[in-house]
Amino acid sequence: MGTFIQQVINGLTVGGIYALIALGYTMVYGVLRLINFAHGDLCILGAFVGLTMLSGALGGGHPGPALVLLAFVVAVIAISVAGVALEFVAYRPLRKADRLAAVVSALGASMLIENGIMLIWGPEVRVFPSGLLPATTWHVAGASISFVEVMIIIVSVVLMAALYGFVNHTRFGTAIRAAAIDQDAARLMGINVNRVISSVFVIGPALGAVGGLFIGLYYREAYFTMGWTYGLNAFIAAIIGGIGNIPGAMLGGVLLGLFNAFAAGYVSSSWQNAITFALLIAILLIRPSGLLGERVAEKV
Amino acid sequence: MMRRTLPTAAIGAVLWAGCLALPIFLDSAWISIAAIFAIYAIVALSQDVVLGRAGLYDMGHAVYFGIGAYATAVLNVGFGWPILATLPVAIVGAALVGAVFAAPIIRLRGDYLLVATIGLNAIFVLAMRNDLGGLTGGSDGIPGLGVPSLFGLQIESQSALFWFDWVLLGVVLLVMRNLDRCELGRALRYLKQDQLAASTLGVDARRTKILAFALGAGLAGLAGTLFAVQISTVSPSSFVFTESVTLFAIVIVGGQGSIPGVLLGTALMFVVPQIFREFAQYRYFIFGIAMIAVMVLRPQGLWPRARLAR
Amino acid sequence: MIKKFMIGGASAIAILASGCIAQAAPPIRIGVQAPITGTYADEGQGIEKAVKLLAEQQNAKGGLLGRKIEIKVCDDEGKAAQAAICARQLADAHVVAVVGSYTSGAALAAQPIYARANIIQTSDGTSNKLIARGYKTWFGNAAPNSAEAKFTAHYMVDVRHFKRTAVLTDHSSFATGLADSVVKDVKADHGKIIDKAFINAGSQNFTPVLTKLKSLHPDAIYFSGYYSDGGLIRAQMVQLGIKAAFVGGDANQNVAFGKIAGAAAKGAVIINVPAPQDLPYPVAKQFVAAYQAKYHALPPSVFTLTNADGMRAVMQAIEATHSVKPAKLENYLHHLKNFQGLTGTFAWNGRGKRIGSPFTAFEVGADGGYTIVYPAPSAG
Repeated sequence: MGTFIQQVINGLTVGGIYALIALGYTMVYGVLRLINFAHGDLCILGAFVGLTMLSGALGGGHPGPALVLLAFVVAVIAISVAGVALEFVAYRPLRKADRLAAVVSALGASMLIENGIMLIWGPEVRVFPSGLLPATTWHVAGASISFVEVMIIIVSVVLMAALYGFVNHTRFGTAIRAAAIDQDAARLMGINVNRVISSVFVIGPALGAVGGLFIGLYYREAYFTMGWTYGLNAFIAAIIGGIGNIPGAMLGGVLLGLFNAFAAGYVSSSWQNAITFALLIAILLIRPSGLLGERVAEKV
Repeated sequence: MMRRTLPTAAIGAVLWAGCLALPIFLDSAWISIAAIFAIYAIVALSQDVVLGRAGLYDMGHAVYFGIGAYATAVLNVGFGWPILATLPVAIVGAALVGAVFAAPIIRLRGDYLLVATIGLNAIFVLAMRNDLGGLTGGSDGIPGLGVPSLFGLQIESQSALFWFDWVLLGVVLLVMRNLDRCELGRALRYLKQDQLAASTLGVDARRTKILAFALGAGLAGLAGTLFAVQISTVSPSSFVFTESVTLFAIVIVGGQGSIPGVLLGTALMFVVPQIFREFAQYRYFIFGIAMIAVMVLRPQGLWPRARLAR
Repeated sequence: MIKKFMIGGASAIAILASGCIAQAAPPIRIGVQAPITGTYADEGQGIEKAVKLLAEQQNAKGGLLGRKIEIKVCDDEGKAAQAAICARQLADAHVVAVVGSYTSGAALAAQPIYARANIIQTSDGTSNKLIARGYKTWFGNAAPNSAEAKFTAHYMVDVRHFKRTAVLTDHSSFATGLADSVVKDVKADHGKIIDKAFINAGSQNFTPVLTKLKSLHPDAIYFSGYYSDGGLIRAQMVQLGIKAAFVGGDANQNVAFGKIAGAAAKGAVIINVPAPQDLPYPVAKQFVAAYQAKYHALPPSVFTLTNADGMRAVMQAIEATHSVKPAKLENYLHHLKNFQGLTGTFAWNGRGKRIGSPFTAFEVGADGGYTIVYPAPSAG
């Protein structure tokens, strides 16, 4: 039983991170029908910006939660700016083009960011300073959960709930939903669609930066190729849930985390990825638009 | 349409024939780059059958390339088959697997199909790494392939391998050209433009798409054999997801459904990084910028398909 | 081939530029084939830096045989196809020897090309398939898995008396090879392997597989993969409350291991040849100090040093034989006894397999430093 509870905790923690990153994919997709393959790299860029804050300021001798909070703020701002800039340079000129053109542009952006991180921070594994957050671990019923894990799960849930509320219960959120359904109609109704799109490229990368910095604080290491792995997992999470659907991204992230944990824990660690992907394909065959996705005609 | 394609094809044929003389002018590194270019061009053309012509977002195409390579490596190294005898097995095997994979997932739309194919790619690579059936050699793969022999002649020298690859590229180019004119090609074109209308005209969408997938996979399998022979070792890392992404990007960068476009795309995505070597660690940083620039400046690809009469 | 360079414009300019003295001879070219970009960029750039440092040091002393050493680098990205292209490019550049590549896969793809061109290749690749064909140009510079596995099994079964060992590996060629050898040798020493499990290298999330291992109650978890994952595995073991000992293979030896694992690093055991700073040879300490002074970082891993050993052996061979003829150099290297490497004293057998690797077991301390725990360090 302890083992089972532990596997659920394992799955939820990593699932929370996937979900935060998946929200960025799904929001961009919802409005632009664009798979932003550079999103994972943006998140890891957030981890590196945070790392610089944390290790640079440590020399001053003020480690601890206040510094961590500051690192989050700086990373979120920096990555939001990067997200908007990316949209302006690489995606906006392609808005009327074949959607695959923007996908390839995103792949180029991914390569650019990933190698940019390597050039700035080096190709080696960078380690986050220790002792920034309490190292407390609670042991309950044969399972254990650490302070960072609790923080990740709680903050993820709070952020996702806030986003859900924002999109569904505010004026601007309504504008985002309207633009997602039909940009031309939204424009006719007086909605500034460009502002909506920019806002999506603020919110998605901002949440991604939080996810990226969580990865850094939890695992205490970061390296430049990480973005691709996390980005791919988060994208898959968004697809499982039904891409374009915000609760779907959360559900997909958590499910993917749990699939991974149960595949490695109860079936076979050497086939872990294959099992996860087989489950994923099975879900898509049963629900071709993801778990919470709507059956809508595809824009071509 | 005829008026435009004929001269292009004629120029293409002359260019292809001219390229056959390349080994006389190139050093051995560039001969192998040119030979591998031909191999990647075949895979890219096969990806174009699925992506550019059938409009199916297949981001796991390296699987079929890998199946061809592994079929040749296993049969040649493990069972002593001559290389050329493995070629039909590689083609038919990859085509069959392509059809079997495609049958259930073909009804998924757009991005959902894309993720399903990414999944198939991950499963394939893991299966090879886990030494499936004790045949695939695990992570090391299978080294030590032999060379093909034709009428008792060993195709061993680099120039000979180059010609071997380029002649087969020529054959594939002919197949691609004829695809535009045969029933399958026409059916694909109608389906891509308007599936509903095509269906009412009696085009069996499901069957056509599976056929396209099988054809694309078979051609990729052919390229797999050539790749295995060229590198003389086959390992899982040559067929990972990022390779599929590159193939996908080649078709979009070059121009969907356009033969010269796909060839140009292959040159940009494969040959240009070889020239960029001077930039050392800056190489892919610059390359990323180049990819964005190409798409922004030419959203239809470098050489878009000639506009078809609607 | 060398005549070509004599009349080459570049060397003509070099002669004019250097003006006088005995600089007329063309440089001796040595190739580096390594992943400069991509997943293994860290290791690849480390190999490039180490080889360039050695060449620079030698050139400061007047080069080899009165000729400067020139390093030509080719980025193979850790991919087979690129490795084959690199091998041809370096062969076209008429290099005497090639250091690298880092991954067994890239080394395998390049190997037949170097063999045909009669160019010495020294790489850290440890796959058995690299020595299977017995190319006379092949010189593996890392300790072969078999020797390390024997020592590991002996240490775990006979010294520490572990009854229940779980083996953990990633899917890489190196780590699976080492893990398989350890499983075999532990069984041969009458130890018990309770599970062989896999991680996805780089996925960071190892708690699911560790939770499963915990339920099997192992005495020790042996991990054959790399430090970036190893440090996390150690940290996650402690976090999950797993009491089993951690024993890591040689790829875990890196300063980052202790930093990643943090306080949890304490007590972890790593099996490797002694770290350069712990070796009695001043040359090893000097090399690491020079590397640090020039690049402001420690070498990324032990494989940087084994490849540096490959480079040093090649330079020694050129000097000793007064020749750059492949046959002479190969003969010299095959008969070299007690080569004083940065990573210990070793030699090569006829198939280019590294023989002689003085393995030790280190324990990682709370400060991230290492103490040798087996064999007991002898006085003096």
